Amino acid sequence: MSDKTTTPREITFRVRRFDPDVDTAPHWSEYRQHVHDGMTVLEALHQLKAEQEPTLSWRSSCRMGVCGSCGMFVNDLPQLACQTQVLHLGTDVVTIAPLPNYDNVKDLVPDLAPLIEKHAAVKPYIIYLDQIEIDSPTGEFIQTPDQREEFSQFTHCIKCGLCLAACPTVATDPLFLGPQALAQAYRYTADNRDCGMKERISAIDIFHGPYQCHLAGACSQACPKGVDPAFGIQLLKRALVLDSIGFGKKKPSVAKIMPLADVVKAIEEFAPPPRTV
Amino acid sequence: MNSKKSTAYNNRLGIKGWVYAGKYTFERYLYLAHRLTGMGLIAYMLLHILETANRMRGVVAWEGLMGLFALPLFKMIEYALFAAAVFHALNGVRLLMTELGFFLGRPKEPVYPYSSSIKRHRPLTYIIMALASLIIILGGSSLFFP
Amino acid sequence: MRETRLWSWHLLVIPIIIVLLGLHFAIMHYAPVFYGVSVEEARNFETMIERGKSVSQLVLYILLLAAALYHGLYGLRGIIRELPMTPALGKIVDITVICVGLFIFAFGTYVTWWTFSYPVGG
Repeated sequence: MSDKTTTPREITFRVRRFDPDVDTAPHWSEYRQHVHDGMTVLEALHQLKAEQEPTLSWRSSCRMGVCGSCGMFVNDLPQLACQTQVLHLGTDVVTIAPLPNYDNVKDLVPDLAPLIEKHAAVKPYIIYLDQIEIDSPTGEFIQTPDQREEFSQFTHCIKCGLCLAACPTVATDPLFLGPQALAQAYRYTADNRDCGMKERISAIDIFHGPYQCHLAGACSQACPKGVDPAFGIQLLKRALVLDSIGFGKKKPSVAKIMPLADVVKAIEEFAPPPRTV
Repeated sequence: MNSKKSTAYNNRLGIKGWVYAGKYTFERYLYLAHRLTGMGLIAYMLLHILETANRMRGVVAWEGLMGLFALPLFKMIEYALFAAAVFHALNGVRLLMTELGFFLGRPKEPVYPYSSSIKRHRPLTYIIMALASLIIILGGSSLFFP
Repeated sequence: MRETRLWSWHLLVIPIIIVLLGLHFAIMHYAPVFYGVSVEEARNFETMIERGKSVSQLVLYILLLAAALYHGLYGLRGIIRELPMTPALGKIVDITVICVGLFIFAFGTYVTWWTFSYPVGG
């Protein structure tokens, strides 16, 4: 028996098609093409478009799992087309559909606008109460490696939207903020330079906020970057509960500012040894 | 050429997104079971309040209803309720702990192959499910063979 | 803060439900195991009234009723409001659930009180 995950062979691609100018509902088209070892779903789509179906549409850019454009529903799981190898799927028929839980613009193109709107709604930036310091800084914020470790996992989000496609709550509730935005809300509130919990509460401490996450874990399974949004949401719940009973971070995590003179000194202290040639 | 106005297709899964767990992780099935048993239990609770309020209609009405509940069919329903309650309670204990951020490990740099909080607390999930199964089986044995 | 408070109560009542429901199960369904009487005996009218006349039973059942109703209806409201609906309809759902909850609590309390104050020998 040869290994199905490496043997180059003919694969049937069932691709969901939808042309908003002609169709009222999507339909499926089948294509057969030869797939070699290591070929990604995205490469297969390019080959399909070049050789068989020039009208096929999808969205992609970097083709290396960084831009987050090519999220698709491949074999019933949300995945990045560029990171998914066709033969590794292990099936002779590969189904490709647009991401669920979004509006389908055309063929495999989802409308990711709600994702971005929800992301923006949770104020995904550092909120520091002293605006004068932000506008004309007198020094640097100090952050230890441990402090960075608290949230750095969640900074890896590429906004591909796979987690919202996997989430059962998003399946019915269009207003639910969703794993992406909630994990980002945690990423910023957990940052020691941030003191924006109070400002974010009106956006996140709502019905359609973290408590509609029931830890189904599908988002973390789908995440192509290991961000683990479900984890972020549970930590956000804990932070909110602690905050509501007065046990939140006492000092709103305002980091000490290192005066610029000290920064210069520190740079000198850790300066490389003088050149020898 | 075509007069159809260009509109996007609503691709939201709806209730199917709740009930069809497909290839998703084990916890996704527990989410579904927790939701179903929860709805079953609250529905039963309302019925149970009505049914026990029957006492206000006197001895005869009460004894009649209790006689009905002694039938094997109702014993089975009772056992299903017991199983649902045990599952919901134990899975609820897991959710109580994990939703407050315990047993999920600590955030760390994602390095492929990625670990996730869901995988990290899976031993707890398995222990809880084993415990639930054990209680359901033991509870059944004392219910049917007192 | 509102949703966090509501959700915190949803969690806080869990230990109450587990303990009291455990007691309720022990009394009603595991009478043969814990009390040496058959389930049928535990369920006959006189025994039921006898039990209902103790203060501890009165407190147990009213507390269990309140805790279980809050927990269950908060969960149910969550499930209903996850369905697509306008914010106005969401408000109507909230108010309806609160009214239903209060009504059932009042009714359940009345039945429990009725048992508690049942005339002896009547």
